[in-house]
Amino acid sequence: MSEKLAPRIAVVEDEEGLRDTLGFALKREGYRVDLHADGLAAWKACERELPDLAVLDILLPQMDGLELCRRLRALSERLPILFLTSRDEEFDRVLGLELGADDYLCKPFSMRELLARIKVLLRRAALAGQPAGGEDEGALAAGTLRLDLKRYQASCAGQPLPLTVTEFLLLAALARHPGHVKTRAQLIREGYPFDSYVSDRTIDSHVKRLRKKLADAAPGADPIETVYGLGYRLRV
Amino acid sequence: MRPLLRFFSRIGIRLLLFNLLLVFLPVWFFLYLGVYERQLLEAQERSMVQQARLVAAALGEGGELEAATATALLHRLAQRTEARLRVVDRGGHLLADSAALGPRQPALTVDRTASRYTEPPPGSREARSRPLYRLGAALYRLYEHVDQSFSPPEAPADPDVFYAPGRPLLGREVREALAGRYGAATRTTRGGQRSLTLYSALPVASGGQVVGAVLVTQSTYRILRALYEVRLDVFRIFLVSLAAAALLSLYLSGTIARRLSRLRDEANRLLDRRGRLTGSFRGSTQLDEIGDLSRALAELTGRLSDHLAATESFAADVAHEFKNPLASIRSAAELLAEVEEPEERRRFASLAEREVARLERLLSAAREASVLDAQLDAEPTEAVDLAALVGEVVEGFRLRPEVAARSLDLKLERPAEPLFVRGRPERLAQVIANLLDNALSFSPDGGTLHIGLGWQVRQRLWIVLAVLDRGPGIPEAHLPRLFDRFFSHRPGEAGARAWHTGLGLAVVKAIVQGYGGEITAANRPDGGARFEVWLPALAGL
Repeated sequence: MSEKLAPRIAVVEDEEGLRDTLGFALKREGYRVDLHADGLAAWKACERELPDLAVLDILLPQMDGLELCRRLRALSERLPILFLTSRDEEFDRVLGLELGADDYLCKPFSMRELLARIKVLLRRAALAGQPAGGEDEGALAAGTLRLDLKRYQASCAGQPLPLTVTEFLLLAALARHPGHVKTRAQLIREGYPFDSYVSDRTIDSHVKRLRKKLADAAPGADPIETVYGLGYRLRV
Repeated sequence: MRPLLRFFSRIGIRLLLFNLLLVFLPVWFFLYLGVYERQLLEAQERSMVQQARLVAAALGEGGELEAATATALLHRLAQRTEARLRVVDRGGHLLADSAALGPRQPALTVDRTASRYTEPPPGSREARSRPLYRLGAALYRLYEHVDQSFSPPEAPADPDVFYAPGRPLLGREVREALAGRYGAATRTTRGGQRSLTLYSALPVASGGQVVGAVLVTQSTYRILRALYEVRLDVFRIFLVSLAAAALLSLYLSGTIARRLSRLRDEANRLLDRRGRLTGSFRGSTQLDEIGDLSRALAELTGRLSDHLAATESFAADVAHEFKNPLASIRSAAELLAEVEEPEERRRFASLAEREVARLERLLSAAREASVLDAQLDAEPTEAVDLAALVGEVVEGFRLRPEVAARSLDLKLERPAEPLFVRGRPERLAQVIANLLDNALSFSPDGGTLHIGLGWQVRQRLWIVLAVLDRGPGIPEAHLPRLFDRFFSHRPGEAGARAWHTGLGLAVVKAIVQGYGGEITAANRPDGGARFEVWLPALAGL
């Protein structure tokens, strides 16, 4: 950040109070921030100049967050997009991720959590552009799974896995000790290091999606095993 | 015991028993109370007396009775009568006997079997010997056996005093007749048959003196035979009725009991194990009461599931609406802990306060909206003059400082006469105020609001309240959701979400529908929105 211009983050949020605090907190972290109250204005601004990361609400006036996400994704494959949602129905989440969002947080979220996610997403985006470095200690392997802890990239049987930050953290937690059971509480700590408001069911839905992505990449393999009454573990 | 009780309390079984009982009733009276038998015996006695009277009248002309005259008369007459006629003199000596005149000739008009009393008709099979009759008789004897063990034994009938040839005929009835009275006797016929012989004797009077008597005897065998036939027919009818009653009962239980148990099955499937509504009644197309019941149940479950869905979505809506202010408060609190600058700290503190106030407002609005339906049903309504009420509410709005500050103009058009609707005045005032609030918030400064009140006839008389503004109008896509709870669309309005709960129009709709009315929203062709509230006019006022 010092040698280059600070990353520019577009925040699209119609809640005035939230927009205010988000803008303040991001600026304090040294980012350049564009604040937008409605989807259409945000789209026009992003079309003119693409930001380095977008934080979107789903319910927005003029143009909703899902449509905005679709258009931004069409504009750029690499742009990290993070959703802020207030509906915890699976529908909105899945749709947000299927549209190509990189991560999402449920309201009311922790500001520290959000900042951490943004940092990870930005680093991942920056590293993705560079060629992979030599064999370093930041790699994990379990079966056909390969995880690059630095770049937040994972692959299964040679196929790249398009994971969100949360999914990556959960998979990494499981892959660090294959065969060991991780309880949901442990997984919450790993997946959401700053947020204590996440429920067990959130972990379940993340694992469900993780399994689907693994199955898409390597059909037939089901490396994540449910241990009833306890949690999950990676098959050895 | 319990399964038996259950079996007999089934509607189908009850119908069957009831119908069978109905069949038994007439049989009981007709067959077993002997009504018919008595009637037949009376008719026979009457006809015997009639014959005796004719003979007595004919013989009474010539003074003392003579055997030759009597025989000649009987000869002419008796061979065409069914009864045996005998004429005796004062001493009971036989003068003439129709039975001594040879076989009787068939009657002129009625072709009866030309038999004597005890001979069964040749060729025709006797009713008593038919298996069907025997079955009925066996059942009857069973009944009699049971019946007799409850009733005292009857005195046996007189034995048949057989009038031997050559001896004076001085039975009880003949003595009565010779004494100048009508005499009658009943004697059981010998021969093991359960048949009786009726004896009737009439005096023959000549010149005020009894000169002899006419004795008519006839066996009841004919009657009994006729009775056997009737009994057989009745038994036959009884069996057919029994079958018909059983079939009808089965059919009835099919159309009633089976459909009721289908309803019961549907009711059982209605809730799952956790008590959640999973199905609904299908509703029958039959026009009878069970069809009505099934339709009523179908409507009931439909409305129940609507209500449950509304309640569930309401909870989800409320949770959703709460998350935005909560997110603001949480982030403001986190920043307060980290930020040092007093000015920024003040800013976040006031932001948190503002959002808390908003949460409170949301809470009370949600509470109000959630109990609104129940309250609307419970509170008493009265006749409200909507014209006067609209005038008051609009006047109140004109006095609001923001209206003056934004130089808004409120134009009210209403008829001079009162327009009555049924409702609570404060609820109706809330409808008007919420519509005006909505219109004001969308109006540009210096704009004009039109409020119109009138009536329309559409199947019935309606009172129509229209509120028209010159705001941006309603995007077409939002029209269907406009009256949804928490739906709020306020483009380009800073802090709009903070002040408007998105419940105002939802409350208006709930009240209007609660009073049997409808609300519509549309865009005016020359810009702005038009809201119309239709309320049923109160008839007779």
